Amino acid sequence: MTYCIHPTCSWHSAIPFSRFTVAVILVFAFGTCPQLHAAESTDTLTLPAEIELLLKSNCSECHNEDVAEGNVDLSSLENIEVSERLEVLNKAQEQLHFGLMPPPESADLGPQQRSKVLDWLGSVLKQHGASRLEDKLRKPEYGNYLLHDDLFSGRNEDLKAFTYDRRWLISEYIFEARFNEILNHKPYKNIDGKRQYVIGDNNRRVNLTNPFLLPSRSGVRYYSNEVLNGGHLLTMLTNAKEAADHILYLSGRDRRYVPAIYEIMDMQWSHARTLADREKFLNQFIETILVTIYKEKHTDLLPKFERLNIRTVDSTKIKKSPFHAAQPGASELVVLYHAMVRHSMNAASDSEWIEKCERDWFNHGDSARTIQTRLTFLAGYLDEFRAQVERHRYARKHKLPVYRPRSDQEQKQIEAAIVVHRKPGDRYIEIIEKCLEGWRVEFEAERLATGPPEQKTVDALVRQLFQLLYQRDPSEDELTRYGGLTQQYLDKLGNLAGIKKLIQTLILKTDFVYRNEYGTGKQDLQGRRMLSPRDGSYAIAYALTDSSPDDELAEAAATGRLNTRADYQREVERMLAKRDQYYVIDEAVQRLQLTASITNTPIRKLRFFREFFGYPQLLLIFKDNKRFGGNYDNAKGRLVGEADRLIDHILQADRDVFHELLTTTNFYVYHSGDNDAMMASSQRIRDIYEHFKDLDWSNFTDEDIAKHEAFIQKVQLRGMGRNPKDDLRTFKTIMTSFTSRFDKGQSAAAPFDSFPAHGKSNADTRTGLQLRSPEVAKFFNIKLDDWNYPAVQPSTVQHRMGILTHPAWLIAHAQNTETDPVKRGRWVQEKLLAGTVPEIPITVDAVIPEDHHRTLRQRLEAKTSDAYCWKCHQKMNPLGLPFEIYDDFGRYRLHESLEHPDNLIKKGPDKAAPHVDLRDTYKTLPVDAAGILNGTGDAALDGEVTNALELIDKLSRAERVRQSFIRHAFRYFLGRNEMLSDSRTLIDADQAYLDSGGSFDAVIISLLTSDSFLYRKEKAD
Amino acid sequence: MASNRRLFLTGAALGVSAATLGTEQRSVFGDAPATGPPRRFVFIRKSNGVRPKELSLPTFTEPQRKADHDKDAFRIDMSQHELPAWMRALEPHKSHLSILQGLSCKMSENGHWSYSSVMGAFKSGRNSLSGIKRATIDFELARLSPSPFGHVELSLTGNYSTFRTGIVPGYSAPGPHQRNYCYADPQTAFDELFKSVAHPDAVASDNAMLKFLQQEEAYKASVLGGYEKLKISNHVASIESIQARNLEVEKMAGSIAQHMPEIDAVHLQGGHNATTPEKQHAMTNILVAALVTGLTNVVTYTIDELSTPIKGLPGNEGDHISLHELGHNGGYSGVPADDIRQKVRVGHMDQVAAIVERLKAVPEGRGTMFDNTVILYFPENGEGHHSHGTEAPFVILAGEHCRLNIAGQYIRLPYHATKGHKTIGNWYTTLLNAYGNPTPHYGDFDLEMSRKKLEQSGAISELLT
Repeated sequence: MTYCIHPTCSWHSAIPFSRFTVAVILVFAFGTCPQLHAAESTDTLTLPAEIELLLKSNCSECHNEDVAEGNVDLSSLENIEVSERLEVLNKAQEQLHFGLMPPPESADLGPQQRSKVLDWLGSVLKQHGASRLEDKLRKPEYGNYLLHDDLFSGRNEDLKAFTYDRRWLISEYIFEARFNEILNHKPYKNIDGKRQYVIGDNNRRVNLTNPFLLPSRSGVRYYSNEVLNGGHLLTMLTNAKEAADHILYLSGRDRRYVPAIYEIMDMQWSHARTLADREKFLNQFIETILVTIYKEKHTDLLPKFERLNIRTVDSTKIKKSPFHAAQPGASELVVLYHAMVRHSMNAASDSEWIEKCERDWFNHGDSARTIQTRLTFLAGYLDEFRAQVERHRYARKHKLPVYRPRSDQEQKQIEAAIVVHRKPGDRYIEIIEKCLEGWRVEFEAERLATGPPEQKTVDALVRQLFQLLYQRDPSEDELTRYGGLTQQYLDKLGNLAGIKKLIQTLILKTDFVYRNEYGTGKQDLQGRRMLSPRDGSYAIAYALTDSSPDDELAEAAATGRLNTRADYQREVERMLAKRDQYYVIDEAVQRLQLTASITNTPIRKLRFFREFFGYPQLLLIFKDNKRFGGNYDNAKGRLVGEADRLIDHILQADRDVFHELLTTTNFYVYHSGDNDAMMASSQRIRDIYEHFKDLDWSNFTDEDIAKHEAFIQKVQLRGMGRNPKDDLRTFKTIMTSFTSRFDKGQSAAAPFDSFPAHGKSNADTRTGLQLRSPEVAKFFNIKLDDWNYPAVQPSTVQHRMGILTHPAWLIAHAQNTETDPVKRGRWVQEKLLAGTVPEIPITVDAVIPEDHHRTLRQRLEAKTSDAYCWKCHQKMNPLGLPFEIYDDFGRYRLHESLEHPDNLIKKGPDKAAPHVDLRDTYKTLPVDAAGILNGTGDAALDGEVTNALELIDKLSRAERVRQSFIRHAFRYFLGRNEMLSDSRTLIDADQAYLDSGGSFDAVIISLLTSDSFLYRKEKAD
Repeated sequence: MASNRRLFLTGAALGVSAATLGTEQRSVFGDAPATGPPRRFVFIRKSNGVRPKELSLPTFTEPQRKADHDKDAFRIDMSQHELPAWMRALEPHKSHLSILQGLSCKMSENGHWSYSSVMGAFKSGRNSLSGIKRATIDFELARLSPSPFGHVELSLTGNYSTFRTGIVPGYSAPGPHQRNYCYADPQTAFDELFKSVAHPDAVASDNAMLKFLQQEEAYKASVLGGYEKLKISNHVASIESIQARNLEVEKMAGSIAQHMPEIDAVHLQGGHNATTPEKQHAMTNILVAALVTGLTNVVTYTIDELSTPIKGLPGNEGDHISLHELGHNGGYSGVPADDIRQKVRVGHMDQVAAIVERLKAVPEGRGTMFDNTVILYFPENGEGHHSHGTEAPFVILAGEHCRLNIAGQYIRLPYHATKGHKTIGNWYTTLLNAYGNPTPHYGDFDLEMSRKKLEQSGAISELLT
């Protein structure tokens, strides 16, 4: 038996399993079966005579009552339950559509006959709304099932292109950008010495969880198919609350933010400000005021002071926690400072002024716990505190507040309230609380007397929130509905909670999370309408960035200048040329490499290639440091960051982009992207080396080092000077490391210090942070102590050719512990050859058996060579095995290490300096990286290859490969798979690339001005 | 490793995230409950590691002490032994107590913090959302034991100086790339969990909002067809699911009112003046009440994290203690770091004992609520302040109906990267298998075990009944 992965689907659990039922397997593997639960019925089916004949002659031999291969019996279609029949028809439709049936060895079905059967199957399934194929064909993994030749041969170029009207769920990036816009989060970074606004740095003050994360896969990730689900809603419920709170907070700070909120809340917030102001005033000066009011009687009214008993402790016998780990918080330190200033001036001893402080705090009404904490801290850290006060210039930053009475009327009001509320023995805080409560009651009565907000204010509120959240005005109907809802909320919940609830409601509507792309205006003969200018402006903006339309684009849409193809072209060209906006490429990379991951290339352009190649998936692959021979986790972030930089470099040049990406021999390896900075940093290492190399530094004493103190300070030798007793050892370690980088005649040294740690002394990055993880060089077979470091990059690296030989791509398409020729081959088949590979049947045990006497290739071949496996594996293995010249860390190799305890030759060290290889040594076998390229459609290119470099060279020259890039770019920018009617769009984009000398900008412009992008069509259901 | 993909999918299907409810219209909050009393799980995360030797029994025989020290596997009945001094609060519950030593957690984040990873057995790339690889074990178990809230997360964390308050991102994960929300102070937890009784007006306004949204979106869906309709109707179904949950909670108002804890005024507005023990005590009350009222069957509670301020600790009442500094052996007011670490753990044990006692006091079936409860107390990051993940000790308290063969035992499993060693992945698989999810293996594999070609998949069979 096999099972449907839908646990609630009892129907599926009854289907017997057979290893031949590929279709059944596919159904279950993809798991969408909503239509299969159609109401049971015994509707009759009448088979047209022609179809009956075709089925009999081509299918019935294997699918009849007696044989029923794959549990498909076509002989009894007319007599079975509708749901069962629909399932059979669905299987048949898929098998026929994907060319899996009839099998090649059986009688073939001609194209016309096949088309007839498919039409009939489609019409019957459509009648019941039960076609699963349609659902599948919109999925990314089925993109290539439309034949390449049908799209590029020109035979379909006359079909009129369009996209169906659609809602498109926002992406993880749009979610962040939208909330950053709404919540006025505008982060800046110092880039190349200038303060720059950076989009994509999402470290907001508001706790929001992004529920719209895109799938983790190599290939286009953002499609318009996604559907809002319960998980999204649960997360958005809390997000809406948090965002609403912050919107109200911002409204209170800036009356221009949402003016209507300010108007409604004006009196309440004004009262709150008055209360806060009085509270602060009283907290600071109540004693002065009380003395003014009560004069000599004041002391008699004070509570009876009782000192707290603070233990005296001896901390000399233990390691005492440092100041920063014992201080009670920044605001408390200011309280302590003010108390110390106030009372220590005329005190004879520390204990005298501390007692005065304690009395003050007691009278004020601070909790005994707080006082105890302050006293304990002063008892243990007074000297450190005084040093802190000096170092951080408290005298300037935290001046003691000076008492100035309020205006006459305000002062009278405050004093009157104190007189009313003060009772003998009251602590100050109690008096303050009673006064505040009295004023609160007065203010509330005042507000009640003013009545609810007027309708016009409520309408303005709805309009302004629609603008803030949806960036459009409400329709008249919406204004009426939401105006009514707002009134209800305000009546029942009060102004503040009512507005908050309205904001939450708007955020939870589908309008907030779906982008609309609808055609408007006059329909053409093919039933197409052009995108509305507003929807068009968003379509362009989100195609190139994650943000809403910029001012120029929004202006164009609003003023009738986004109605023609030329209008689109103007805006797309303008946005592609923009270089004054910076973006974070990947926050995860930024966190891992501990330096910024930034670009000023329009982010979606760069992101296409990140997704297409899929190398960021490396971040999900975890590896054994021992097998890497160093600290893998530290280096992997830099590796991805440098792959990003390489692609950005190629895109900036925008010439022969696809070819360059596949064939460049120049790479970034441990480089910040700033050649001048890297040259200077490398020179620093040389200067230090040159300064000491001819001296007998290995036998230096402390006195010898002292003679070079000025030089050491000038070049900032890391780790020196902190702890003088360690300086000698530190110095020798540094010199040993630096010497190893020059003593083999190297032309230049990689600029890293020998002690990786916090702080900055390695090369500068463009944002001023430290460049870390020199071990990234190990992925490229570069030895850190034998490297002619090229400070100007990208520069040539041996045995590499393009992104497919970049270790980031190789690791992302490998397993945790070994390479994955199947995954790599599949990537080439699907992404470069626009080919298809059927999903792996779920009955297949996909694990390659362990055998530590054979290479992975030998084990894989043994596993997949039988006819059943080879049917699919022939499409992958010959394309993936050439990459066996690289191991699962992307290191070039001629021999494969047979990693097994039985094969261990030599154990490597467990810990050592970064340049040392920690790997264990195992027995090896020679690598056989031969493969076969098949599928370029060019006989001159197809054929045997000796390794990945030859394979890539051939691929880079194939027309099919270039067009496959175009197909994937289409999916990325359109958010869907191609249809036959997109043929003209694809041909045009390909031609634009050729005409422009290989400009990817030209491809984007062509796609975003195509009929496929501009026109929408209503889908008849 | 799963023997084939079909078997794997069968297991995985049971672990499909409730959060991915959609076309198949699963409840947002889990599947229909099974018959019988619910199974309850409490995960208590602590920071700063637990040094394995801190769990060694003082009354070990010499061979046992040696085996424990040498990390050799053994298993003993604790009834004739004393517990370590800091665990004395659990002495009355020793027959329900287990100390599980020898697990490793190297496939999760190590060092200072593990974030979500220690409960998901994956590397998360520090605290990145995209690094959350799967639903954490608590959510997987919550799916096997559905309830109106499904899962509740509590935490006492901070920024070294002050406690975090309100609703904050949590450490548990309902699914891949998803982060749970969590209640960061007792008052917020109280307000949110017991809202139907404590703040009925707030519930009414939430319901009014949901009703409005449901009507608006349902109308929108009614004029659409096909896939575009699904994009809206799915949302409508999700809203209806939450409305149904709210209705269910409203029906529980009587039980909630009966068991709702009282929250001291010191916890108002985030409770900035409350001491750490006071906060822990209040959280314990809320945790127990959340279970007893039936609002949830699974609670994850971060009792402290490295940045949680420790204030008001007995003997160090006036100190503002940093847990991180304790990890670096810094003492306070003349008290050595080790002593303070011990006092912190004693405070934890007091809370664990309180949970056990409170649940033992509530009748259920022929026994008590504790009979159907498993409490797991464990360090979020393994064996020390800067841990390497080679050891991940667990203290477990489980009632009479526990489906594991661990009660009253001190169990030391084979050491990391040796034959027979078990990881937290094996341990979580054991929990899942025991409680109804037959997944072949939960979590990522240990890379050193893989390098050494050591078997490491599946449940720990000797712990299954």
